[in-house]
Amino acid sequence: MAGPISLRVITPEAVALDTTCSSISFPTTDGSVGVLKDHAPMVAALGIGELQLRGDAGDSAMFIAGGFAEVRENVVRVVTDVSEPPTDIDVERASKAAERARARLETKESTEGEHLDVLRARASLARAIMRQQVASKYRR
Amino acid sequence: MAGIKELRLRIKSVGSIKQITRAMEMVSSTKLRRFQDRAIASRPYSEEIAGLVSRLSSVLGDDMEDQPLFAPGAGDRTLVLLITSDRGLCGAFNTNLFRALETWLAGRDVSKHDFFVYGRKGAQYLASRGRNVTRFITDPPMEEIDYHNAALTGRMLTSEFAGGSYNDVFIGYSAFESMVKYVPQIAPFLPLTPEALGGGGEAPSEAIMEPDAKSIFESLVPRYLETRIYNSLLESLTSEYASRRFAMKNATDAADDMQKALKGVYNRKRQEGITKELLDIVGGTEAVK
Repeated sequence: MAGPISLRVITPEAVALDTTCSSISFPTTDGSVGVLKDHAPMVAALGIGELQLRGDAGDSAMFIAGGFAEVRENVVRVVTDVSEPPTDIDVERASKAAERARARLETKESTEGEHLDVLRARASLARAIMRQQVASKYRR
Repeated sequence: MAGIKELRLRIKSVGSIKQITRAMEMVSSTKLRRFQDRAIASRPYSEEIAGLVSRLSSVLGDDMEDQPLFAPGAGDRTLVLLITSDRGLCGAFNTNLFRALETWLAGRDVSKHDFFVYGRKGAQYLASRGRNVTRFITDPPMEEIDYHNAALTGRMLTSEFAGGSYNDVFIGYSAFESMVKYVPQIAPFLPLTPEALGGGGEAPSEAIMEPDAKSIFESLVPRYLETRIYNSLLESLTSEYASRRFAMKNATDAADDMQKALKGVYNRKRQEGITKELLDIVGGTEAVK
């Protein structure tokens, strides 16, 4: 039998994932949240990190960044801008992005530079680090 | 023989034009299919976002009107994002949009309108009319537009609006209704109205909000606006290629007809010439006898 929860990961470009599973966990802005069967209805703003799911076909994971998750009647809908399975992550690009963001933060934070730029650099650093983590966890 | 050589040349040139228009028709067909696929692929996302917006707005109720993007802007100017095509040869696609724009502008104070433009045709048109084009978006080229770039444009419009010099923002684009019907329209973009968001969806009041309804809504609204821009761009591109395919099909058919007509004239002339020559020869032999 298929898992009790159906999961759909939706990005602007496509429906990235449409499957069923027995448990899901995803990062929200306030930390990771796990969803099992018959979870109470919920709407959450997503953070940056790893969406994990456990199903009959084994476990799998996906990198997601931003967006929303809605849980209703055992249907989880994840609406996100970015979703990448670990195998699709460009590790080299992520580490370069991390370097760039770090360099920008160093110059900006000391001079109390533009507020928005600092925020942006932080977000891009967070994305890059999470990408690297997810990739290294599932790839060898 | 008067004209027979010219006729042959014309038949040939009509033939090569026909080849070009047929090739363009074929190219437009494939591109049309590609943009249609993308429009279909992006639909679940925008539906989901729109659904969330409408559900959350009913949770928020009257609080929504305090949100910054729901009140008319502080300024008295109007910003219009006009989405046209880069290239011509697509029938009345751009002309229809321009006409709709003029009708819409009639009775408004044109000097108080600023324009953001996608597509070279629109930029040329507005410049020739002396309209105030604040930004002509060329990077990336229209055909390579993805969600990320549409989102950037959305953010740009929102920050212009929040900047305080505009009262409202509109999008002018060609909505794709069917393969042969594209409706040019100037649609309000900002400020948002609860009606436009489809308020009154079923309220999941018992749902857990993480972190809370207001902050989710605040980060949801920009995304909603981004999907609107992205969808407008895709619809415009789909309409453009549908329109171009149609125009090129017509051109190919017309070239076909013209070629046939010219061939008829050419053959008659040729036959005339042969008959005349024959008569000459027969007349000559008669005289020799």
